[in-house]
Amino acid sequence: MLACLAAPACAEQPAYTVRSTEIKQQPFSDAATVARLNENAGVNIVTRRGGWVRITSKAGNGWVRMLSLRGSSTATRRGDSGLQSLFNVGRSGSSGITVATGVRGLSEEDLKNAQPDTRELEKLQNYAVNKARAERFARDAKLKPRKLDYLPPGGNS
Amino acid sequence: MLIRALLFSGIGLLSGCQQPGMDFDFDKALSIAQKARQANQSIAEPEEISMGSGIAANLLGASPLLADDRVQQYVNQVGRWVSLHTERPDLPWQFGILASTDVNAFATPGGTIFITRGLLQRLDNESELAGVLAHEMVHVLRKHHLAALQKGARLGIASDLLGEALKDENNQVLEKAVKAGTEVYARGLDKEDEFEADRMGIVIATRAGYDPFGLPAVLQMLEAGNAQDSSLALMFKTHPAPRDRLGLLDKLMGNRFDDYTAPTQTDKRFNSEVSQHL
Repeated sequence: MLACLAAPACAEQPAYTVRSTEIKQQPFSDAATVARLNENAGVNIVTRRGGWVRITSKAGNGWVRMLSLRGSSTATRRGDSGLQSLFNVGRSGSSGITVATGVRGLSEEDLKNAQPDTRELEKLQNYAVNKARAERFARDAKLKPRKLDYLPPGGNS
Repeated sequence: MLIRALLFSGIGLLSGCQQPGMDFDFDKALSIAQKARQANQSIAEPEEISMGSGIAANLLGASPLLADDRVQQYVNQVGRWVSLHTERPDLPWQFGILASTDVNAFATPGGTIFITRGLLQRLDNESELAGVLAHEMVHVLRKHHLAALQKGARLGIASDLLGEALKDENNQVLEKAVKAGTEVYARGLDKEDEFEADRMGIVIATRAGYDPFGLPAVLQMLEAGNAQDSSLALMFKTHPAPRDRLGLLDKLMGNRFDDYTAPTQTDKRFNSEVSQHL
């Protein structure tokens, strides 16, 4: 579950609706409707499950389709460090922690001036796994392959 | 411009121009047009792979691998599994976590995929990781970087990139291609290529058994990111806005991905291998 375990750093993520959308009691389209949000209504995202997010809003609390929301820009309110608390939203474990020291090395200039590191390349090659191992890894977590065609570019099919 | 016009009008028109008094060097134009046409042909797979390795070595020169065998192995297993659900399952797919705290991911021709530690740490579950890796895989499947390299001002290199030249014992052409190829990462790909990678990436991750909304969730996380944050600078510069990418996925996905979820075992595994471990 993507519950907000990381309290007290557990901030809600502001977002707004890009169309009129129903707030559902459960993350399913046939669940009971709690309330309806107009287009451009402000909400706070608490957590996500599949294509649904649990929100709080003036109109009511419940689940709405994730893709009917867009994140509100935070650039005007937060500095460089503001990002960290945003990343903590709905994120469990210690993954929200930003390491204080680390390699950057991936700016435009860094990439243009990069010199090959063949020893690292060798290490990389040693990490590669074969198909059989990948299949075992999938079975261990009960991942089941599905048949599915690519989507057409326009989105109408 | 001349070359582009020739390309579009085709050789038939060129022959029609073959008349006295024409004001350009016909033979020269024909040879350039042919080279350009050839440059649009695909590079053979072995050359694609060696070029990709060269670019990978350069990217590793910019940021080394994260020194953590356990999480490197984990990402390789997720990635290799996802790669089996693409149309090129037999490429030598390999995956690496770059030590960089920047938020980014890269693919090089032939099947090398990198994700930065900075991005990995911001992911929440295995479906999000699968979504990011699948997006990168599409760049390999559709040869987006080769197209970027072969396009535009680099026609000289592009024509040299033809199989025969790359196969030469003398590696100068390959070196040139690798250098130009690495610069593509600073410039970014065509916007349409990024949209295509999203569109195909969600399908590949879903085929592998993951939650289709993994990649959209990452985009929503990025969207909430601050444009002023320097660790996001290159990623934002080289990709369409997360908002636009989400808008397209919104239109494409509708409610037809609602029934797919990922097994909870993948959440547990991600938690122990990445969230608690890194």
